[in-house]
Amino acid sequence: MFYSQRHANGRFLLRLLLTAVFLIPIFWMLMASLMAPGVPLPTTFRLIPDPVTLENYGRIWQIVPFGRFLLNSLLVVITAVPITIMTSSWAGFAMSQLPDARQKRLITLSLLILMVPSIALWTTRFMLYRWLGILDTRLALILPAFMGSSPFFVLMYYRAFRRISKPIFEASRLEGATVFESWRYIGMPQIYSTTLGVGILSFILYWGDFNSPLLYLSDQSKYTLPLALQLLQQLNRSDWPLLMTGSVLVTAVPLVLFIIILPLFRNINPNVLSGIK
Amino acid sequence: MNFKKFQLSYKTQLNLFLLPYLFGIFLLVIIPALLSFGIAFFRYDGLSAPVWVGNLNFILAYNDELFNLSIQNSVALVLLPVPLRVFGAFLMARLLQKNGRFLNAFRAIIFLPSIIPGAAYALAWIWIFNPLSGPLNLLLQSIGLFTPAWLADPLWAKPALALISLWQIGEGFIVSLAALSDMPPSIDEAAQIDGASTWQQFWLIQLPIFAPILLILIFRDIALTLQNSFTTILFTTQGGPYYASYTLPQFIYEQGFDLLFFGSASAALWVLYLITGLIILIVYLLARQWQVGPSEALYVL
Repeated sequence: MFYSQRHANGRFLLRLLLTAVFLIPIFWMLMASLMAPGVPLPTTFRLIPDPVTLENYGRIWQIVPFGRFLLNSLLVVITAVPITIMTSSWAGFAMSQLPDARQKRLITLSLLILMVPSIALWTTRFMLYRWLGILDTRLALILPAFMGSSPFFVLMYYRAFRRISKPIFEASRLEGATVFESWRYIGMPQIYSTTLGVGILSFILYWGDFNSPLLYLSDQSKYTLPLALQLLQQLNRSDWPLLMTGSVLVTAVPLVLFIIILPLFRNINPNVLSGIK
Repeated sequence: MNFKKFQLSYKTQLNLFLLPYLFGIFLLVIIPALLSFGIAFFRYDGLSAPVWVGNLNFILAYNDELFNLSIQNSVALVLLPVPLRVFGAFLMARLLQKNGRFLNAFRAIIFLPSIIPGAAYALAWIWIFNPLSGPLNLLLQSIGLFTPAWLADPLWAKPALALISLWQIGEGFIVSLAALSDMPPSIDEAAQIDGASTWQQFWLIQLPIFAPILLILIFRDIALTLQNSFTTILFTTQGGPYYASYTLPQFIYEQGFDLLFFGSASAALWVLYLITGLIILIVYLLARQWQVGPSEALYVL
């Protein structure tokens, strides 16, 4: 008993120490955003900058039109995330209900598509988008959402739906329920932690997407926040407090969302992140 | 209602549910991939009609010194971080597998760096790695250690870029956690009763069981690292210093979108397709070998 208590304490300390390492980038980003603008950069190590100021969070709005970029980014995620949830859960649901042999083939296909790096598709997607006439529109940013965004999300849903016992779906089918009804009223209500997981992951994906707007947009009025950061860097290469303030602001939205969503996972499943399974 | 007819339509309905996904894969992955194969034989600037040039693009691309350099750098920037990333993600999942105080908070924090958008994350690291006033070098200086110029030094640029990628391991962490939770606890218990230490349990029992998952994670991570490194490099070193971090995505981006040489960009892509094709073949064989799928035994994802 004494031994296992000590063992548990040791494991806790190890966990604490290693987890702390993962906070380093975000911590240093935040601290640099609190430095006073226009003064020489520090020459000795300080955990927290000497005068702590929020001045940068006021002036950044005057330097680049951050508000408009924010609005553009919000428009992208507000459309892309619900579409992703719908299409990926449809595909995952259908996969879980199909005969075993087809399930296996579809899983293998999904795994294979996951191995294709997106750079392999840049140039020809560009041509395809122009041919479809959606170059330089927001649709070019959210088009992958119509295929569930990533096979990863489809597999997450597949896993979740497979855990629901099959007789329930059999019974509802015999009662005359359509696939849509089974999905909507039996499947989806039981796996809403997966929906939360896919929701936050796809939010992160589209919110942080730098390549699509870089490649497929030329009209600056449609730029999203990651491109705003590039603009900010080009304009103020050595204004570190300002650059870090921009970075913190762009990170803040998904971060706050993540923190709000976390307790919801706990209500369903004691495991926060493995609730996504 | 005719029961058999109803059953058939249920199947059709399922296929309709799958349609967006399968059509999307066809339109956004398979068609662009095939197109890219073909475009390699044309001179095409994206505006005027493509002109057949035979294998000229291949000669141009493959004799380009920058192309060869970009391949070498890409291989180095994949080989350096990927094993560390996958193994690190699995180890962290193993460490945070069993219950304890603040378990949920700890798991959330491991995922935290993966939330940061690539652009913001890259900017943060330029600051952290700033040779003179960045927090990392000031810290190293205060404890009397060597302070490299990191991203500004041709020798240190690659290790620095690899280091940057080590924090964003959220996806591998989630998959590892899910895989670990699938393992029946009886295996662990049996090992404990037999007197295996935690370390022995890890090396002799868990690692072999999870080898297929780890392998697939490694291949997935190669694709992830290749595409994520583009954003990081564009913000941090832009391929420098002295082309020390100039990678294949940079080459393709410059050929295709700066110079509008879609043909030679596609010719360069052939190498990538070759590597991806090999990986896909291995994953396919692995998936068949290890019964990935709806078996009741362990399966990936």
